[in-house]
Amino acid sequence: MLNPKKFLKAASLSAMLATTLVSGSASAEETIKVGILHSLSGTMAISETTLKDAMLMLIEDQNAKGGLLGKKLEPVVVDPASDWPLFAEKAKELLAVHKVDAVFGNWTSVSRKSVLPVFEELNGILFYPVQYEGEESQRNVFYTGAAPNQQAIPAVDYLLENEEVERWVLAGTDYVYPRTTNKILAAYLKAKGVADEDIMINYTPFGHSDWQTIVSDIKAFGSAGKKTAVVSTINGDANVPFYKELGNQGISAEDIPVVAFSVGEEELAGLDTEPLVGHLAAWNYFQSVETEANYEFIAKWKDFTKDINRVTNDPMEAHYIGFNMWVKAVEKAGSTEVDSVIDALVGVSVPNLSGGYSTMMPNHHITKPVLIGEIQADGQFEIVDQTDGLVAGDAWSDYLPDSAKLISDWRAPLSCGNYNVETKSCGGDS
Amino acid sequence: MYSKLLQLVASALLVVVALSFQSAHAEPAPQQLVNALATGKLKQKPAQIEALAATKNPAIIPVLQALIEGELFYLKNDGQVVIAPQSGPMIDAATGKPLSGLNKSSLKKIKANNKVRRIARAAIAKLTLQSPVLAERQAAVEALFKAAKPESLSLLLEAQKNETDPQLQTRLAQAIALISLQDKAATAKAQQAAIAQLRSLGGQQALALLQAFTARDDIAPQEKEAATRAVEAIEKSMALWGIGQNVWYGLSLGSVLLLAAIGLAITFGVMGIINMAHGEMVMLGAYTTFVVQEVIRSSFPGVFEYSLAIALPLAFLVAGSVGFAMERGIIRFLYGRPLETLLATWGVSLVLQQAVRSIFGPTNKQVGNPEWMSGAYELGGLMLTANRLWILAFALLVFALLLVVLRRTRFGLQMRAVTQNRRMAASMGIRTPWVDAFTFALGSGIAGIAGVALSQIANVSPNLGQTYIIDSFMVVVFGGVGNLWGTLVGAMTLGVANKFLEPYAGAVLAKILTLVFIILFIQKRPRGLFAQKGRAVEA
Amino acid sequence: MITAKLLSRFGLSASALIVALLAIAILFPLANLALPPENPLHVPSHLLPLLGKYLCYAMLALALDLVWGYCGILSLGHGAFFALGGYAMGMYLMRQIGPRGVYADPILPDFMVFLNWQELPWFWYGFDQFWFACLMVLLVPGALAFVFGWFAFRSRVTGVYLSIITQALTYALLLAFFRNDMGFGGNNGLTDFKEILGFSLQADSTRAALFAASAIMLALTFALCRAITLSKLGKVMQALTNAENRVRFIGYRVEHVKLFAFTLSAMIAGIAGALYVPQVGIINPGEFAPANSIEVVIWTAVGGRGTLLGPIFGALLVNGGKSYFTAAFPEVWLFALGALFIAVTLFLPKGIVGLVTQLQERFAARKAAAKRQKQTAPPAKPALNPEAAE
Repeated sequence: MLNPKKFLKAASLSAMLATTLVSGSASAEETIKVGILHSLSGTMAISETTLKDAMLMLIEDQNAKGGLLGKKLEPVVVDPASDWPLFAEKAKELLAVHKVDAVFGNWTSVSRKSVLPVFEELNGILFYPVQYEGEESQRNVFYTGAAPNQQAIPAVDYLLENEEVERWVLAGTDYVYPRTTNKILAAYLKAKGVADEDIMINYTPFGHSDWQTIVSDIKAFGSAGKKTAVVSTINGDANVPFYKELGNQGISAEDIPVVAFSVGEEELAGLDTEPLVGHLAAWNYFQSVETEANYEFIAKWKDFTKDINRVTNDPMEAHYIGFNMWVKAVEKAGSTEVDSVIDALVGVSVPNLSGGYSTMMPNHHITKPVLIGEIQADGQFEIVDQTDGLVAGDAWSDYLPDSAKLISDWRAPLSCGNYNVETKSCGGDS
Repeated sequence: MYSKLLQLVASALLVVVALSFQSAHAEPAPQQLVNALATGKLKQKPAQIEALAATKNPAIIPVLQALIEGELFYLKNDGQVVIAPQSGPMIDAATGKPLSGLNKSSLKKIKANNKVRRIARAAIAKLTLQSPVLAERQAAVEALFKAAKPESLSLLLEAQKNETDPQLQTRLAQAIALISLQDKAATAKAQQAAIAQLRSLGGQQALALLQAFTARDDIAPQEKEAATRAVEAIEKSMALWGIGQNVWYGLSLGSVLLLAAIGLAITFGVMGIINMAHGEMVMLGAYTTFVVQEVIRSSFPGVFEYSLAIALPLAFLVAGSVGFAMERGIIRFLYGRPLETLLATWGVSLVLQQAVRSIFGPTNKQVGNPEWMSGAYELGGLMLTANRLWILAFALLVFALLLVVLRRTRFGLQMRAVTQNRRMAASMGIRTPWVDAFTFALGSGIAGIAGVALSQIANVSPNLGQTYIIDSFMVVVFGGVGNLWGTLVGAMTLGVANKFLEPYAGAVLAKILTLVFIILFIQKRPRGLFAQKGRAVEA
Repeated sequence: MITAKLLSRFGLSASALIVALLAIAILFPLANLALPPENPLHVPSHLLPLLGKYLCYAMLALALDLVWGYCGILSLGHGAFFALGGYAMGMYLMRQIGPRGVYADPILPDFMVFLNWQELPWFWYGFDQFWFACLMVLLVPGALAFVFGWFAFRSRVTGVYLSIITQALTYALLLAFFRNDMGFGGNNGLTDFKEILGFSLQADSTRAALFAASAIMLALTFALCRAITLSKLGKVMQALTNAENRVRFIGYRVEHVKLFAFTLSAMIAGIAGALYVPQVGIINPGEFAPANSIEVVIWTAVGGRGTLLGPIFGALLVNGGKSYFTAAFPEVWLFALGALFIAVTLFLPKGIVGLVTQLQERFAARKAAAKRQKQTAPPAKPALNPEAAE
């Protein structure tokens, strides 16, 4: 009793969908596929498109060197469109349909959280290149960005030692990364003897554009006779109006320095940096790092994008490190088989762009130097401080009571991302 | 404001110092101490500067100035310290003699951080406090005012005796007051003078010092009494100014909302088109500004100060013609189906966003602020930033112009006729299709020039339009569709309400409360603040 | 016999859809679970949740069509009801994780431990019970819609004013849910779900069941909406779209009719959200974004407003297209999507279903003309007069 026309339509629609989604898997097997999962549209495109291009460059470069295990690498680019459920869908597509051997992607924490179950279920490999709040260690994910102890704490140390800062404004966008970082920092500062009334914490929504009130509050807070600094975990888009307001209200870096964890060369490219000279940022890499490897990388990047004004930034370096680690691990394992690559990755050491070697730790975080830079008039950073050695990423912060007792070690026999040293058990089921 | 002033003064200083060098009667700077700057880490710089400053030799001023400006280098081979300005010849820092035959690649920069710069500035200030040049003295006093350290007290007192400029006299007295209030050794008389001085100075810094002073237990009761009263007086005046400041913030937020919404008041308010591509018209205006500035930067750097004025008509034309094309190509087929315009214009907005993303890339573009739009003015306890002031003035100007166009011109008359009764207007001989097209182009063009203004305070990125579209609709609907005055009052009301809520509720809750307020308000007045009356309402 | 009953009650195409949905609900999971992967008819595991997601979107579009197509209420905030339903389900799934979270706290979800919450906020009570969560899936969106609608319809807020305040509603909720202080996980939302009713969410069989549930729920809600629109109430609703004042003057309590439709529609949206969350594995405030609600309007319009069938096809088509284009043409897919919306509004004012009916009518008319050997004008379809924005 079906209406044949209607039924045909429904059937053909789903058939069309099925074929389009499946067709990807039919292509040749001689290549090694690398998935790139970065938003190319929507709010995050601003930051993530660059990383897609960086990955394409790295893959092209590797192919020019003869590929991997005698095969060519083939990038598979998809657009999750800054839509978090779509990230999970696209991750599934990359792993199940395109059968990629590794995925490089994600920027926001929520997008990472969204794809985690997918990588766990389909047993994929994800390289996550952005600084984040920590409190996570997953078998299938390799965190090449900074954990809080690789960025926030050294930055605060610098301000304590060099600027003798006594009052602190912790300003951030209201999401999990600033919340956690500020929590860790507040605990750290109190341990250093800073009083409660000398810490001001402020949260703003995403894309906040009217900073008049907050900047004037900061100014009032900072003119109480004690040296004051702002620790900013303000997210991407909101930074431009924030810095513009700082400049306009006449807050110079010599009065109240702002140290930011989410502002890099790419963000500064959209700003007139003249009024911002002297404000700080803490990263593991700056474009201004003076090493041969970095000069070469920058030249390649400008060449690849055919734009001499393009800048490099920290998450790009993280992808550079992550990609080379993966290549090395595949060579070590002799295949792209996921489990053996995951095992091979721990302990792999590759050169980073700041003149040292970064190593993949058993907790799937890497070792990195921490650099403090001051903003220059040309939109670059001048490195004013650098940690003496490399800092290993700590997945579970020692300054949060519930996570202090957790450790992560993915090597046998522990093989656990959140081992509780008190109860001697692997918490959860991850 | 300070930084601007400082910059100005610094450059004046540099010229003066350079001149004094040419006359070469000054004693050369101590070579060994100058060259020491090339050695050691950043942490050793303060001590090196102190050592230089201890010589009290004015010849070190240009060296420190160069360090602050990031123009101090040393030769990689022998560590000789040189000043290498961005333009002009290199100079041997110690002797002040010009150097030739040096390549920038043989130099390495001597790094400075905020602390080093601050110390260098204070060192310069101490040397220039009695300089014959007024601007130098001003800069020196400001630097010492900021630092307010007891060790500079004697220097300041010395300077006060010789100072002739009345304004600078006051500033000196204030700086002295700031210091002597912290000074445990100060006499009761000095304390009283300081309290009186700070009371008239007002502001957060004075307040904090006075509060700390009242908490001390080594002071006489009458000083304590005076200080307490001063604290109360300052707090009271700050609270009053705070209200004024909030009103200003509110008006300035309102002016941004007004600018964003005013084009929509035409396309949506007057024409009834749910124009979801409105935000993208604003974006086009902002990108036009970017392109204009790029062209100016590369070809006519001299006219950068006028870049916004040049961008305005172009932005109007660009956005206006896109609007015109949109009306002719799409919207004219949709009259009488207003809700469907939402769909088509949403499609247009996606296409425009992606087009801009493909052409200019997804990253933020830098739109510079001309000199006259940077800095701030202080008006009593009010801080008025220049860009906000201009934007407010500009928003009101655009509003007034639009009002004149609608009320006083033939086109405005035809426009109103067409929107009120299309058929009647047509039978009176008005070419309604063209009026429609130009009305839409006008609304879009206005959105474009709003983009020029908004490029000064916001991100110029493909997402620019999305950030303003919802607020714009709220403003127009709150004010009453079809009424320009409603848009003005609506924007200002929402701006001020938001800013008064923000200190109590925080930025997010303030915004949520404003939205809830709009929802409730519409229940009370279902057609907005300034409801349209008459038969047109039911049309 | 059932089909005959269906036919007589709902008409041909609607019955066909219901039967097709029920068939899909059985066949697709079977094709996934029973057939080996080599079989050409095998439905891959990753496709099932994807199609399930589309079905949830279709249900949301259906809900919107009930109020927009039949009552003339253009809601630009239907995503809010969808998301609320989703959050209610998400809270249940969150409580199901129990001590398997990374911090192994038996009661508190990970994000609360993470932010040093000491105890469970009161509004999380009860969500460890599935029945309670299901109740909330209906009640929370329903109550919000009821309160909101009660005020709005009583004050006779209509047209764009109504549309814009629904947008304000969802925008305010978006901002509120972004706040970490709200206790819903802030921007990260709720994620890392393990199981539903004791079945692992990663198991193929659970997914198949969820897919089947979505298809069946869609069929049921469609039948419900169809029944309502065919009833006397439905006639009044349709009259509302054309001339609200006249209906009021005749003596109907317009606001009651609207309120009923709006509340019911919100509940359907809530169900859609609740089925959506376990299949995509995350719910976060992004679902409240006004742009999402506008997209729902677009699916409805693409499929054909005021047809109930159309929105379902529209949602499937647009989302299928989006999935395909974001992978096939990641750089330019927005052009295609934008062009589609423009084209549909310009050339298919009644959507795809409208086009099909138009073609059918033309075809029928031509046949009739040929048969009777005389010229007849194609029967004019009663135009749905869209709500004027003044």
